[in-house]
Amino acid sequence: MTSEALPLTARRAGTHRLSPAQVIGGLAVLLVVAAIASLSLGPTGITLSSLPRAIGAALGTHTDAAATREQLVLLDIRLPRTLLGMFVGASLAIAGAIMQGLFRNPLADPGLIGVSSGAALAAVATIALGNGIAAPLLRPLGIYALPFAAFFGGIITTMVLVAVAGRHGQLMVGTLLLAGIALGALSGALTGLIAYASDDRELRDLTFWSMGSLGGANWPKVFAVLPFAVLIALMAPWLIRGLNGFLLGESEAFHLGINVERTKRAAIVTTAASVGAAVAMAGIIGFVGIVVPHVVRLLAGPDHRVVLPGGALLGAVLMLVADIVARLIVRPAELPIGIVMAAIGTPVFLHLVMKRGIGGME
Amino acid sequence: MLTAHAATFRINGKTLVSDIDITVPPGKLVVLVGPNGAGKSTLLRLLSGELKATSGSIELDGRALGSFSAAELARRRAVVPQSTALSFPFTVREVVMLGATVPGFTSAPEHVERLASDCIRTVGLLALEHRLFTQLSGGERQRVHIARAMLQLAIAERPDDAPAILLLDEPTASLDLSHQGVVLEEARRQSREGRAVLAILHDLNLAAVFADELVLLSDGRVAARGTPAEVLRDDLLSRAYGCEVRTNITPAAGVPFVLPHAIRNR
Amino acid sequence: MFFKSTLYAGVACLTLAVSLAAGAIEARAEQTIVDAGGREVKITDTSRILSIGGDVTEILYALHVDDQIIAVDSTSQFPGDALSKKENVGYLRALSAEGVLSTNPTLIIAAGDAGPPPVVAVLKSSSIPYIQVPDDKTPEGVAAKIRFIAKVVGREAAGETLAKDVDRDFALLAEQRAKIKSPKRALFVLSVQNGRATIGGANTSADAMLKLAGAENAAAGATGYKPMADEAGVDLVPDAIVTMQGGPSGPPTDGIMTVKALAQSPAIKNRRIIEMNGLYLLGFGPRCARAARELMVALYPELALKRASTAE
Repeated sequence: MTSEALPLTARRAGTHRLSPAQVIGGLAVLLVVAAIASLSLGPTGITLSSLPRAIGAALGTHTDAAATREQLVLLDIRLPRTLLGMFVGASLAIAGAIMQGLFRNPLADPGLIGVSSGAALAAVATIALGNGIAAPLLRPLGIYALPFAAFFGGIITTMVLVAVAGRHGQLMVGTLLLAGIALGALSGALTGLIAYASDDRELRDLTFWSMGSLGGANWPKVFAVLPFAVLIALMAPWLIRGLNGFLLGESEAFHLGINVERTKRAAIVTTAASVGAAVAMAGIIGFVGIVVPHVVRLLAGPDHRVVLPGGALLGAVLMLVADIVARLIVRPAELPIGIVMAAIGTPVFLHLVMKRGIGGME
Repeated sequence: MLTAHAATFRINGKTLVSDIDITVPPGKLVVLVGPNGAGKSTLLRLLSGELKATSGSIELDGRALGSFSAAELARRRAVVPQSTALSFPFTVREVVMLGATVPGFTSAPEHVERLASDCIRTVGLLALEHRLFTQLSGGERQRVHIARAMLQLAIAERPDDAPAILLLDEPTASLDLSHQGVVLEEARRQSREGRAVLAILHDLNLAAVFADELVLLSDGRVAARGTPAEVLRDDLLSRAYGCEVRTNITPAAGVPFVLPHAIRNR
Repeated sequence: MFFKSTLYAGVACLTLAVSLAAGAIEARAEQTIVDAGGREVKITDTSRILSIGGDVTEILYALHVDDQIIAVDSTSQFPGDALSKKENVGYLRALSAEGVLSTNPTLIIAAGDAGPPPVVAVLKSSSIPYIQVPDDKTPEGVAAKIRFIAKVVGREAAGETLAKDVDRDFALLAEQRAKIKSPKRALFVLSVQNGRATIGGANTSADAMLKLAGAENAAAGATGYKPMADEAGVDLVPDAIVTMQGGPSGPPTDGIMTVKALAQSPAIKNRRIIEMNGLYLLGFGPRCARAARELMVALYPELALKRASTAE
């Protein structure tokens, strides 16, 4: 973030916003830098200068052990990890921005309101029951079984949330949070039940998966999330207008010509897709959904034309940075990325809350 | 032109409005008055298309209101709400620019920006243009919504469109003396420019000054309709408000009174 | 001419000698092994070993190849040297692919539990030989594991000695077990959280160890490590409770005392709570028989013999 971002407290005369071009352009540059860093840094010390040899090894022109090792590290470990990290960061940020727009509440983060627990529950059920009861259902889906299951888990929880908390045009924060807590608790209970029924091996897989990590990134996983990335990329721009209208309330959105029901449904599908795929691939990672859209709003205002793409870019950057830290700080071991994200996210979050209050709410 | 024929709205066994005939013609400022619970807001929401009449019909330019899509409606009518809860750090200008969210327009951005500035200037908020909306007083916020609605209609104007409609739900509710005048002057100006304007007002004196036509609602029905002089009568008001109302009586000697028609903005 | 032929002969002899020597060294290290996962793995160089799994590391140290170990995982807690002197690649089930590669091993010997699966897949696809060690949690399994690892590192003789010692210890243990007239009921508690205990049912390492020690698993009705239901807990009536030695949350005995369902059991009433090191007790490594015997003596003090085991 540039130093222009810092003096953004509301002055007596007015509030300064960066232009959308500045924000999105700046973040795009940051993302390129972060991606290059993610490809260049790692415990083996191999850098991008080895890329030509790595590609050579992949094509078969270089067969020496060093080139093969470089191919393995750069193309089979770091590249899918970078791509997956970008996807997970971007989709979690977009899901957060959509939830906040849909519920008109800056505190809405898929984690706080139970959507990711629902996706997690579905993923847990898949891991635990995938070889048992649910096998005939899940096996044909192959590597797509987990993200699709998480996707549906996310959709069902979001639908329940909207039905319970989003009535009469005015959303009561209390209802939203309570419904989210209730759903989160229910998901947790069901997850516990499934964990009880699973054997030790599955249990341990569950525990580590739930801590969030990009460590298991590989090409099949990247391909598995590709349909979701396409879906989100198609739906998010359409949602921009609707979410902007929603900012004044559902009645006002209607008066502004927004098709309220269609917008809600599209928002649900997109959020479920984002959260489902991200949670399935990387476990539960918090903070991105709340902090990232909020930072973008502080820089450039609440217009979703900036918040959605800007959020996606910033989310991707944050995830890549956290992942670089996660895999270097205790090398050759690795920290779960959820921990690094919490370590980075908590002070930023608290700072934002203390400085601006969340979104100037009274 | 917006008309309702025998419009009735029932929900959960309760009838909120029944058998309403009302016309909002272009070039006129129609004011809706009546006690709380009379059905004023419900009628406004029926006219805006937000609610669907249980029986009877609402027509816009001869077409049933339900046959319009939300986007088509938004190009023809704008609504100024009573209040909105805002959770995000908007500036005044950004809220006004939301009036341009209506789908289906391809106005050049500079044109829209200029129009937005005009609307903000008209409601007297140019100095606060970049202030956060949440830092404004209730009255200032109301004026922002009016500017937003004005922008929505300004963008919508096309030569072949029928004149637009402006609906205001208690726009002067939290405004002080000077601003009440500003807002209603603007509403009147809109109607003079050919738009059809309907406003719900609480204050009978304001209604008396600004209304071209006054409609008195009571218990979900039209109790009276006509010019202010025709409607603001003792018997009609007493029956509607459920208390003894006497019009045109000055207070006891020495007790001052301040009426809107005597207030001028500098 | 004579000079030339001598020269040629000399060169030939030298070449022969060198290649024989080289061949000898190579022949010792180069081999193809079928690992516990059924994969055929070609091993050429055992000079830099990455050991994953507490029992694997223990066995490697017992075979005296520890100076060839360059890195271990975080469960390699015995001997104490392992974690303090070698690089630590983290928890065995949460390895980092690039992290492992960065230690530059020439051979990876891993317990079957190593994970997560995608990382193991990447390691198996690298040019580094990855050997999965068999994991049978029985006395025969321990000996087989030792022999297998010994073969991998080319120390068959030492491995055979170690395995025979282990076999002998288990045989002794079985003799002593036969002397038990009335088996005691024992309960393995994995952890306690909020007054709720997680216990070891059937099909766990704990269950196997309790049986080896001549005890009856009070929790045999459950399978795997399960949270203990309050009511069911009352019926378990263990004579002794076995648990792992304390971690950061303090002495485990304190936690166990808070479990109400067990309060009336003979184990708690007589304060028969046996704490043992986790890896020692459940690792099924070379000290397995010794651990089982220690447990047996703790349960049946009358069986304490003067003869110590010969395991290392």
